[in-house]
Amino acid sequence: MRSVSAEALKNRPLPLIPIIVAQQCVLLPLYFYIPVWIALLNTLVAGVVIYSTKNKRFKVARWLKFVITVLAIVGVYLVFNKISGKDAGISLIAAMYGLKTLETDKTRDANLLLSLSFFILTAGFLFSSSPLIVLYQIVPILAILNAFVTIHSLNTQAVFKKSFVQVLKESGRYLFAGLPIMGILFVFFPRLDGPLWRMPGVSQSASGISDRMSPGEISDLQLSDKVAFRARFDKKEPSSIDLYWRVLTLNEYDGLYWFHTDFSEEAIDSKVVQKNNAGEIKDKKLATYSYQVVLEPTRLNYLVSLDKPVKMPSMGKIKQDYTTQVDYRLMNRTRYHGESIPGLKIEPELSVEQKLRYTQLPSGNPKSRQLATILRLEALNDEAYINQLLSQINQEPYFYTLRPPIMEEDIVDSFWFDKKKGFCEHYAGALVFLARAANIPARVVIGYQGGEKNPLSDSWLVRYSDAHAWTEIWFASKGWIRIDPTAAIANHRIEKSLLNEYRQRDLLFDSLEAIDIEEPGFIKNMSYWADSLSHNWNDWVLDFNSKKQFDLFKKLGISGLNDKQIIMLMLGLVTIFLIILSFKKFRFAVKKESEISQGFRLIQKKIEKQARLKVTGCEGPLQLKQKLIALNDPQHNNLIRVLDEYIRLRYQEKEAELKSINLFLKKTRRIK
Amino acid sequence: MHTTNSLKSWSRKWFGNRMPVGREIKLSQKSTYIWPTRTGYLIIFVLFLMLVGATNYQNNLAFMLTFLLVGIGLVSIIFTFKNLQGIIFTALPVDEVFVGQVVKIPVSLSSAQKRSHFTIGVGENDKSCQYTDVSEHQFSQLQVEFSAKKRGHFVLPRLMATSEFPFGWLRTWAYFRFDIPVIIYPLPEEPEPQAYLNSGHQTDEGESVPGSEDLSGLAVYQPGDSLSKVDWKAFARERGMFVREFSNYQSKDYCFNWHDFVGVTDELRLSYLTHLVLEAAKQCVSYSLVLPGKTIGFQSGYSHRQNCLRSLALYGLNEENGLSKKHELDKKNTVNPVEAS
Repeated sequence: MRSVSAEALKNRPLPLIPIIVAQQCVLLPLYFYIPVWIALLNTLVAGVVIYSTKNKRFKVARWLKFVITVLAIVGVYLVFNKISGKDAGISLIAAMYGLKTLETDKTRDANLLLSLSFFILTAGFLFSSSPLIVLYQIVPILAILNAFVTIHSLNTQAVFKKSFVQVLKESGRYLFAGLPIMGILFVFFPRLDGPLWRMPGVSQSASGISDRMSPGEISDLQLSDKVAFRARFDKKEPSSIDLYWRVLTLNEYDGLYWFHTDFSEEAIDSKVVQKNNAGEIKDKKLATYSYQVVLEPTRLNYLVSLDKPVKMPSMGKIKQDYTTQVDYRLMNRTRYHGESIPGLKIEPELSVEQKLRYTQLPSGNPKSRQLATILRLEALNDEAYINQLLSQINQEPYFYTLRPPIMEEDIVDSFWFDKKKGFCEHYAGALVFLARAANIPARVVIGYQGGEKNPLSDSWLVRYSDAHAWTEIWFASKGWIRIDPTAAIANHRIEKSLLNEYRQRDLLFDSLEAIDIEEPGFIKNMSYWADSLSHNWNDWVLDFNSKKQFDLFKKLGISGLNDKQIIMLMLGLVTIFLIILSFKKFRFAVKKESEISQGFRLIQKKIEKQARLKVTGCEGPLQLKQKLIALNDPQHNNLIRVLDEYIRLRYQEKEAELKSINLFLKKTRRIK
Repeated sequence: MHTTNSLKSWSRKWFGNRMPVGREIKLSQKSTYIWPTRTGYLIIFVLFLMLVGATNYQNNLAFMLTFLLVGIGLVSIIFTFKNLQGIIFTALPVDEVFVGQVVKIPVSLSSAQKRSHFTIGVGENDKSCQYTDVSEHQFSQLQVEFSAKKRGHFVLPRLMATSEFPFGWLRTWAYFRFDIPVIIYPLPEEPEPQAYLNSGHQTDEGESVPGSEDLSGLAVYQPGDSLSKVDWKAFARERGMFVREFSNYQSKDYCFNWHDFVGVTDELRLSYLTHLVLEAAKQCVSYSLVLPGKTIGFQSGYSHRQNCLRSLALYGLNEENGLSKKHELDKKNTVNPVEAS
């Protein structure tokens, strides 16, 4: 083997292809989140660099590199109007990281580029935290390690020609050896309760219902399959009729939007409520449901609760309208326990002032007002009036559609009398308007309705597509009663495509139950499985915080240790692992030799069995062969053949290839 | 200045104590060191940034990635370290070297445990290393070079075996010294004609022109006869293979005498004598060498030549005995590679 001087090693051309492969693997997940032109620029640069390795004379001029770099910075600025913040920052970093390959021609540059690659890998986690991205990130890690190994190998030519499996095996070895340490550090590394500092202008990718309702907002959500939250009931589960998940109430209307105004800042004491209602809860045997919710980031300061909450975590205050408010906007996935009584009677008494507020309406929509006045006069009481309205929705050609026609200026009039087509916001909004117009206190409630039960993890999966708006109407002495006008629409007037796309909404419509009973198919099962995996993933990986860490230490019986001791324990475990690893013989190479001799032992056994020869340990393969030939039985020809093979591999070949060894072993095993 | 010097000598002592010495060397864990490279420090810095970022964003995936890299970094200590272990470094015989030439020491590398080692460098320091791979069953060879500045015993400087494989994040190295006898001969220099004449002393019959070769006849070639004496012209004419016989071959031997050269420095004298010895050896004549306090009698052949050259190289240095003793001592310390494998 020829030797290479240190000087020559330093100055030889870099193995650019593994480096660029590693770089593109790192960038790939980012390409989905950064502007397309940066992705194109980066792949173009990678192509140019690869081209220049083949054509040595081709070189990118220095001034051109400079111009491209400046243009990229300007481009990022033009797109985002800034170069800081998450999206702009990462786009800029990605662009610069991609352009760096143009300036990579020394080992030093390559080391820098590859080291930074690890940092850029973390950027991918800012956009997505699904198990899939984590699984994918193994690929760039292996690619980076491979590039490092290639740079520090002598015969890069051989490395180039290495098969994909070999690369996987070699780099994978380092990765696997590193995994146990990762586990130890992950469990024991002390976590802080809060961030070290807050980045200005970090926009969290979160959506969901917002704190005001404009036409089309919720129906937009209904197109999204993203998970809003997961819930698991501790014991019994409510029937589908009660699966209304309350988020917030909208009590004011400006003619276009419904929004929430705080009438009273007072929070209600859930204990007091329960005490007051204790008699009723007992009499009517009202069911109490307790459950756990894992809420995805909403950017709202409301928690989701099953209608109507009586006990929520201490950080959330149950307000007068039985929504649960927290002091900050929920930017992270949040987990909490709640208790709800769907049948709870709320606010049986309203003050005059409150009544006034809940019946306020802006001017406009004269036809609706007129209708309300007439119908209320005809009706026996408030409830009869509301029922009259609901039966009108049911009897007359009211349609439920996600593509409603454009409403005229007086939205309620236009919807109720003309178009008669709309989605839950239209129905809820119109009903509350008509109730208020008849001087009945009413409000819109928004939240989620229904959900999908995952039979594997026993949890309910509620998606954005389950977002819903319904109403609460106040009746004297009965309090706020939930009325869902959308549920009153006759089934045949619900758009077909809607039924197909959103089967979980079927719970709303009685006659469609048949679809619910449907056996979960394979794909459904897979998605349930993925969901329960994701649930555990959330539980144990994404949500692993200082509190969970403490709980775990408690279980392990080491909660009494202070931080210093925990760190010592962590370092101790890592050291023990390293010692074990260093004592473990690296058997990768020795294996070949032993595998050949293992093959010989196999042959010995086969000879004993097939040829009924007594085989002693001291006989060499040649002697055995002669013995077999002496027997002169064509049956033993295959034995002789493997013996020859063994002799060749063991004694004649300088370095037997693993492939031929494996072939030899295979052949040997096949002999009966 | 003083402190750095004493620190240096202290570190030399420290390394020296742990340094294996011998012709065949297998590195021991005790004498192997490991430390991050510049890239290693860069990686540590990047990992620190990642850790700060992960803590700040409370992003457990970023934590996981960081910890995985910390894990890979830590196990790479073992991989890097083990890559250098289990290699047997053997110094192969060295060619003749004269002052001013380059001492080329061929080093053979093989694996004691029959595994592959990659990118192993051997040299005086990390900048002058020669790198090679060591495969499971084959020997690899590289050459370590030094300039020969002084005649006499050449004490091989401390050598370094080093490697940054697999990632270049860490450098592992070990010092060792080959204890093989390397003698640097004086630079051969052709004496001026005057001196040259003087040197051509013949032992008995007065003066004669040196190199005068009175051809006395031809003898039939016998195996073992010097090829330089073969009458090639005759052979070319296909008359058979004859050896030219010189009448004064036996009787007129050369005596190279230290005292023949007047008015030149000792070193120059040695250079002249070396030249003459080499020339005489080339012509396969018998010659003797007279040095102050030492006389080597008439003889010819390779071992005689070596003996003469050695005496010239070591003239006045007085270390002829010291080294061999030390050599014996060191042999005990080196592991026998045959036993180890």
